[in-house]
Amino acid sequence: MATIVQPPSVARHQARYETGLLSWLATTDHKRIGQLYFYTSLAWFLVGGIEALFIRSQLWGPNGRLVTAETYNQLFTMHGTTMVFLVIMPFSAAFFNFLIPLQIGARDVAFPRLNAFSYWVFLAGGLFMNASWLFHAAPDAGWFGYAPLTTKAYSPGLNIDFWVLGLQILGLSSLAASFNFITTIINLRAPGMTLMRMPIFTWMSFVTQFLLALSFPIITVGVTFLMFDRFFGTNFYTIAAGADPLLWQHLFWLFGHPEVYILILPAFGLVSEVLPVFSRKPLFGYNVMVYSGMLIAFLGFGVWAHHMFAVGMGPVADSAFAIMTMLIAIPTGVKIFNWLGTLWGGTLRFTTAMKFGLALIALFTIGGISGVTHASPPSDLQQTDSYYIVAHFHYVLFGGSMMGLFAGMYFYYPKFTGRMLNETLGTVHFWLTFIGMNLTFFPMHFLGLTGMPRRTWTYDANQGWTSDNRLATVGAFILAAGTLVFVINWLRSLKRGQPAGNDPWGGATLEWSIPSPPPDYNFAELPHVTSRTPLWHGDPGPGPATYPAPFVPAKVPTAAEAGITLPSPTVKPFVAALGLAVSFTGMIAHKNLALILLGAAIFVGTLYSWLLTPLEPEHH
Amino acid sequence: MTGHHRARWSRFIALAPLVALALAACSGDSPNSIFGAHSQFGHDVDALTRRLLFLGIAVFVLVETLLVFAIVKFRKHDGNTVAHQTHGNTTLEITWTFIPAVILAFIAVPSVQTIFRTQSAAPADALRIEVIGHQWWWEFRYPEYNVVTANEVYLPVGRAVNFELRTNDVLHSFWIPQVSGKRDLISNHVNHLWFTPDSVGAYNGFCAEFCGASHANMRFKVFAVSAEQFAQYIAHEQTGPVFPLAMDTTPAAKGAKPAKGAPAAPATVPLTPAQLATGTWPLDQLPRWVVPATPLPDGLADTMPGDAARGAATFKTAPCIACHTIQGVSAGIIGPNLTHVGSRTTIASGLYPNDHAHLVAWIKNAPAMKPGSAMMALGQSVMGAGGLTDQQIADIAAYLAALK
Repeated sequence: MATIVQPPSVARHQARYETGLLSWLATTDHKRIGQLYFYTSLAWFLVGGIEALFIRSQLWGPNGRLVTAETYNQLFTMHGTTMVFLVIMPFSAAFFNFLIPLQIGARDVAFPRLNAFSYWVFLAGGLFMNASWLFHAAPDAGWFGYAPLTTKAYSPGLNIDFWVLGLQILGLSSLAASFNFITTIINLRAPGMTLMRMPIFTWMSFVTQFLLALSFPIITVGVTFLMFDRFFGTNFYTIAAGADPLLWQHLFWLFGHPEVYILILPAFGLVSEVLPVFSRKPLFGYNVMVYSGMLIAFLGFGVWAHHMFAVGMGPVADSAFAIMTMLIAIPTGVKIFNWLGTLWGGTLRFTTAMKFGLALIALFTIGGISGVTHASPPSDLQQTDSYYIVAHFHYVLFGGSMMGLFAGMYFYYPKFTGRMLNETLGTVHFWLTFIGMNLTFFPMHFLGLTGMPRRTWTYDANQGWTSDNRLATVGAFILAAGTLVFVINWLRSLKRGQPAGNDPWGGATLEWSIPSPPPDYNFAELPHVTSRTPLWHGDPGPGPATYPAPFVPAKVPTAAEAGITLPSPTVKPFVAALGLAVSFTGMIAHKNLALILLGAAIFVGTLYSWLLTPLEPEHH
Repeated sequence: MTGHHRARWSRFIALAPLVALALAACSGDSPNSIFGAHSQFGHDVDALTRRLLFLGIAVFVLVETLLVFAIVKFRKHDGNTVAHQTHGNTTLEITWTFIPAVILAFIAVPSVQTIFRTQSAAPADALRIEVIGHQWWWEFRYPEYNVVTANEVYLPVGRAVNFELRTNDVLHSFWIPQVSGKRDLISNHVNHLWFTPDSVGAYNGFCAEFCGASHANMRFKVFAVSAEQFAQYIAHEQTGPVFPLAMDTTPAAKGAKPAKGAPAAPATVPLTPAQLATGTWPLDQLPRWVVPATPLPDGLADTMPGDAARGAATFKTAPCIACHTIQGVSAGIIGPNLTHVGSRTTIASGLYPNDHAHLVAWIKNAPAMKPGSAMMALGQSVMGAGGLTDQQIADIAAYLAALK
């Protein structure tokens, strides 16, 4: 490979971008963007958690008066919206960004600048949505935003405007990212990395990107109708003009159900990486795991109306959606059994990552089973919109998605930072989370079966709901304590964690072949892949005697020394996202035309300049 | 590594409270349990739910047992440093695809059967009840009998009841957990739900679809009564307001609480034969859990006695008439029909007991008692017009209480 000598002007220009704030604003490195996604999601996770603590404190006793009914409605709406769009999705995006290029043996994603743009738009969307708190106008119609409650006639304030515009911004981010990762996975795999040799996390991410690309346009249509109703007086959902509110429900759930798999499949992928490494066995039934993931995603588009059994769609539609929904339990069950098959006969080592992975199997199973109990419409008529549903989807999203994400965080922290998380604090975090999670959400099954409706600000003392609510509140604070331990562990380990070598766990896939943290170019030489587990050479062996595997310091050459050209840093994606944010701020500021146009001008102008600038420094 | 034994045991210890909880829930006091099933619809759903829970628990036990067994059996120890390598097992994988499919067939078949049974057309002689959702209260109409009431609905045991569900504004959902599943009220749609109540009882009803500020406060009461009592109830509701035909204006007779320092009167008035003839559910037989226990907001407790006759006169000139109907008196349709409000057990859609103190507080400042309520705070000046005085409010409350 020929060494490229950069002219001094370019070198000086690049140096400015290597440290400090500007280096983050201008980065096009998928690993740094992954970090930005991670820390932003972590911040929103804390915000969403605090919202949950307010909710649980309000429900500690009957007729609680900690917050008003209006504030409570804002809290549960923002808790749901935050945890879905600002926490689980972008936590997954942090892993897509950080891991996919490493797992497929690439130097970056297909469109590094678009990738940066996706992040900045996501940040803008989150800040925009939460800025509503400052105006006492946080969205308050639930994360599902059913029309006509969200129309101007019933929600005249700014609350729903923030929600509608915030979702539009976040949707842009997700769509841009999905196209980027689809292209990356199809085009940038290292030589020999056939589709059926891809690591399972990359596979599940690949499936997730298709779900994103196919489902977000649907919510975008639904939300755009609502935006036009609210801002420009159209009548898509205007009851007085004869609108049918079921239009929103169909659009929302046609997005909303695939969204559930968008939230869970990346976590499934992470756990499918963690379990084999700590069982010292390859993933049981790799092909079936891939196909079941694809099947879940495919069926996921055909089950949306199971959220609408109480709507009165008639017996034929109810039966059809019930059977489709039950079918989806089959590939999901297969995944569970294949994970058990992976453990079976292995030599299990219970690191924190492994504990969280096992917890996913244990807890997601509960969420999956309770899901089948409301796949049956007559049974669902007694469960839907009750606390039983709250229990169900928290077992799926906390017991499933979050446990999987935590497993991934403990597993990949060394790759992320070059240091190990503290395993003792990790164990404390795990047990507080495991106990807290069950104590919070298990009693909610009983609350639902004993008639407590969801989204209720208050309840009476004589309804038999007090003790289960008390337990749930105690559990929520235990969960919060666990999260605090996690944050402390994360921050403390950045400086004081044990240094990690390339491969602290004895991993199987390409990301473990390069230094931790990886150099900005990832792979000095693109690997040639001949199997699914390139680092195991057909046999995982017993793994390191103790974790982490001994750290051997090594000189890692810079990109210039290695003769690798990297994409130039640029603030243009940031500025383009800023332009969008200005435009949307103009919309919320009573359709302030000057701001809208200013934002649009910044956006379009920056895009022009971006398109006219080559991705990499020109070779002289 | 050490500590595995401890970790395993803590996992079991963590599950212990859950088991205790499950037992507590089975034996505990759960008045709104969905396993009550006081209708054929309820029995059908109940049977299906029990089958689902039984199969679900069986699968749960199987998976968690295998998981715990794997964790215990295959943990790393000195004897098993290298795992036997398997990449999969086609027979096993086909088996565990097939078995869930069979289990699901055992769920799907009765599910579809139950769907068609519970959603079949209502019998021709079913009692039609129109349910109209409002933010945040329930309007009930019996078109067959030309009766309109609110927030409390009477059902005849043994006769099919066909609810015709509409909403006046946003979506709501009609749910009586102890009797049947729920059905949404959808703008520009008419929905149906029918069942046959099979036992006499008083039940709680809830709005189950989020509908705004006071969603949690949109409750209703259901009284399933014998056919005879139902006929009596309807006959009574069909008459005009009982007041002033047989009025007794002493506050005590209407259940009003005496002012501080006044001679003590019994908190509840024994039912008179005339009251019993209304067919309404006897107050002294109300189950504990259908009596609302919402505390009054601070500063609204007031026990000034009122005069029903004066109240009747005040009502006619007060803002009340703009929103409420009292047969022969006023024709407002924005709020609940008050023709027989005195015979209801609750006010404000099941949020407060229907007594003098709560009526007074409600008229004085409804929005403070029920967030977002469309009823104005009549005790305060509204748009320049002076509010009602405390005495006027007490009089109106006495009048409403007399409207048996």
